Amino acid sequence: MAHYYDIDEIIVEEELVSAVFQKAANGVGILDPSAETNSVEQGSKVELPFWLAHELLQRQAVTINVPACFNQKTRKEIQADAPCVDLRSRCPYFYELGCKLAPLVGDRTIGSLLLQAFLSRYKEVLSKAHTAASTPVPKVLTILTKEETNLYETAQSSMAAFKKWRMGGPRFQRASVLGRKRKPTD
Amino acid sequence: MYGRRACQLVKELSSAEKGQLTGFNSDMFDQVVKECSTHYLELQSLMRKIQEEGMDIQTTRNADHFGMVIHHLSLMRNKRCLMAYVYNRAEIIRNLRWKIGPVLPQEIHEKLSYSEEEYFKNHSTALESYMSELELDLTVDMVPPKDPYIQVRVLDDIGEVLLSDQSANLARHSMHFLKRIDAEQFISQGLMEELTG
Repeated sequence: MAHYYDIDEIIVEEELVSAVFQKAANGVGILDPSAETNSVEQGSKVELPFWLAHELLQRQAVTINVPACFNQKTRKEIQADAPCVDLRSRCPYFYELGCKLAPLVGDRTIGSLLLQAFLSRYKEVLSKAHTAASTPVPKVLTILTKEETNLYETAQSSMAAFKKWRMGGPRFQRASVLGRKRKPTD
Repeated sequence: MYGRRACQLVKELSSAEKGQLTGFNSDMFDQVVKECSTHYLELQSLMRKIQEEGMDIQTTRNADHFGMVIHHLSLMRNKRCLMAYVYNRAEIIRNLRWKIGPVLPQEIHEKLSYSEEEYFKNHSTALESYMSELELDLTVDMVPPKDPYIQVRVLDDIGEVLLSDQSANLARHSMHFLKRIDAEQFISQGLMEELTG
């Protein structure tokens, strides 16, 4: 139940993966931009969203190739210096997509790649979160995936809560759903 | 088509700031519902094609079958996105009653659809009838209290108000020493702020 309504799950599954059709399919020609008729030919290579590719794989209608964000170039960069790799531009849901793909693609090295990347990066993320000021936005934020950004923001808010507890301060807050305070008109 | 627009609808929710409500995008919502009808019609025409060719609908695995499968999956995906959109907004709306109180400011009214406003009213009524049975106001003391009284400064003109232990003239910039449970509602609506130190 928790997965069905989860917004991040839905957005992760929309990421495109490259799939080769093992069987033809009629009436869905829009999926393949190079199709001449309203159908996808057997053997054609199409970019499909993950949710569709996953279901069709289970019905043995397609095979899935590993997407570009897990290719050799990215792997070398991660081995060289993981905290500096711009994972957000490769794939903002790097870890989530990798976890979902690993059992489907038959590539055993994806799991260890994800682990290695995360281990090297999370230390940077946490140390920057605890020491950096909130403005200007540190450069590290622009290269983080969604999961790492959540980690960063959680660390920052826990740091802020700790400081507030130490200093004391107003414990009642304006309801956050009301948005930014307008300037009082004089 | 094929779930792309439905996913855009869901992305609107994720791109808003945490806990903030965006306007109900009824145009996109209706478009996604129309796409569901389109997928269903395509599904039916492919099904008729299989039946006309005299093949068994349950066991055939030809190109028409896979076309049907893709349309069906797109329909389910659209349904999931629509449900998630409504479900996550409903969660925020439920919290509104606890944070702001039974009366919503205009800026929030504009962001809700008609059925969402009904939902808020019904939730509010259910909560109030429960609280009156218990004779207890559950929406105060959301932060554990340290003191029964706090110092506040008024930010917006509220006027003469009868509170539980006193009657006060809440003019702008005036400072008062009020009971917590009275002040809590005003603070969360942004009409007062707590003074410390």
